[in-house]
Amino acid sequence: MKKHLLTATILLVSALLLTACSGSSRRVVASGWAGLAADETQVYLAYHNFVYAVDPADGSERWRYPKEANPALTFYAPPAVTTDGQVIIGGYNHNLYALDAESGRENWVFPIPEGRFIGGPLVTEAGIFAAATDGKVYAVTPEGKQLWSPFATEKEIWAAPVSDPDCECLYIASMDHRVYALDARGGQLLWKTDDLGGAIVSSPAMDDGSLYVGTFGRQVIALDAGDGTEKWRFDTQEWVWGTPALDENNLYVGDLSGTLYALNKADGSLLWQVQPGGAIVDEPLVTAEGIYFTTEDGLVVSVTPEGSIRWQQTLDGHTYTAPLAFEEMILVATDQPVALLAALDSNGVGKWVFADTKE
Amino acid sequence: MWDSFISLMINVLLFIYQMVGQNFGLAIIFFTILIRLILYPLNTQQMKQSKALQELQASKKWQEIQKKYKNDREKLAQEQMKLYQEMGVNPFGSCLPTLIQFPIIIGLYQAIIRALAVSPLQLLNLSKHINDGANLIPINNHFLWMDLSLPEKDFGLTLFGYGVPIMAIIVAATSYLQTKLMTPASPGANDQGAQMSRAMGLYMPLFMGWLAYSFSSGLALYFVVSNLASILQYALMGKLNWRNLLPGAAKTG
Repeated sequence: MKKHLLTATILLVSALLLTACSGSSRRVVASGWAGLAADETQVYLAYHNFVYAVDPADGSERWRYPKEANPALTFYAPPAVTTDGQVIIGGYNHNLYALDAESGRENWVFPIPEGRFIGGPLVTEAGIFAAATDGKVYAVTPEGKQLWSPFATEKEIWAAPVSDPDCECLYIASMDHRVYALDARGGQLLWKTDDLGGAIVSSPAMDDGSLYVGTFGRQVIALDAGDGTEKWRFDTQEWVWGTPALDENNLYVGDLSGTLYALNKADGSLLWQVQPGGAIVDEPLVTAEGIYFTTEDGLVVSVTPEGSIRWQQTLDGHTYTAPLAFEEMILVATDQPVALLAALDSNGVGKWVFADTKE
Repeated sequence: MWDSFISLMINVLLFIYQMVGQNFGLAIIFFTILIRLILYPLNTQQMKQSKALQELQASKKWQEIQKKYKNDREKLAQEQMKLYQEMGVNPFGSCLPTLIQFPIIIGLYQAIIRALAVSPLQLLNLSKHINDGANLIPINNHFLWMDLSLPEKDFGLTLFGYGVPIMAIIVAATSYLQTKLMTPASPGANDQGAQMSRAMGLYMPLFMGWLAYSFSSGLALYFVVSNLASILQYALMGKLNWRNLLPGAAKTG
């Protein structure tokens, strides 16, 4: 009897340890990265169990949502801010949340049946649009009511929708290797591309009637925004995860080999490339001073418009998220609780860090 | 080194996935069978050694020395060693093949889990292992009623309002069958080895069922295929012990 008890106890403890460590429930382990957004007065950071509102003056915390960590609620998606003072954020728990930007109070919750939110929401005058891992695009009013029936693609969607106010269109990049154009007023399909050769996990960049997408098929592809026909393709060394960034003439995009490419928007020809080290996961930031981007190795890199590295800073931990410009600062999110958000000036000198001291 | 091995396993798994029409359930089944075939010689050797050891421990001679020297552990150990030598059985003979198989089985498990990437960091990690299979992403995780990337507790079928852990039950049942069919009947029903075997035979299937319920159901599918493959392998060797399935067989031998 004693031996039965011993065997049963050993197996029970092993089972509990294994299931606790497996991460299979995907409720406990942070398996995504931070999302950043800002309005005129504060910065919003979504990471792991919380959405934080951060004071841009000194990096202090103004509020967090929820007040206490809920293991069943994690955030992989970046937030978006509405003109009526709401922070919209998708949870990895089948819910889209609207929070009061002033206080962090929950205004409403829009539940979806199956999907989880990895891509951020799009806020427009026509409504709030968010896509989920069930492959569906959801349209919601600013009050949290469904606007039109969800539009379904064939696979998961990890990218935020993009809008074109001129035609009241939405552009959706799906992991089914296609880009879709929808009517923002009713959700009807306007056009969709053929299989572009690889999954697309980030939003298209849009400019002057063209869409630019990076794919896991190691390509950047330019499409006509009017009908989805291809304009050009550029081959990269590795998967392209992030959205391309645009300026007047050029396009800047990184790939998982860690190469940042500058291309001519008109024909996709290569202008220059740099490879400072570590995979480039998210979108570069283009400002008047130059181009800023982060790499997985914790590098924040500033490059001149001509392709010379101005400076690079190494932060602790990993940096996956696109840098965000706020006033004169460059904000960079990391995966380290002691420096979830770092503010640098345009020369790479640190100004403040935001730490989650309660975690 | 280990990462390169995992990359190899993942790429083989994805190659099979592509060959079977992008069905990840079938890919797991064929991948498990392929690995089992590769490990067949080692496994056979381990099974033979293990069987010889079990038969020795079930022999009359073994039982006699257990009784005779039950109060003298040192003498008992000496007599046991003598018996091992007489019968040409190496008590550790089944360990080496198991040790060699272990990293391969762990690699198989890791390949399945990593290929089932569903979150951004998991997919980013997977991207570092894939050579030419980028066009296969995202993996189609649906097989029969299952989402292979989720534990059964997150999507399990419901019957009259209650969740029915079908895969966990199948895993527990096949584990039980495997243990029963592959354990020789022991005449020394009360010796320590037999008692431990009975305890493991009872609790291990429950343990496996619990793992199947809590981990990704892709892993549960692997457990089922692996259990059935072991039973089939034993059957091919003509060593299945059907008598163990009869009620009271363990007691009477």
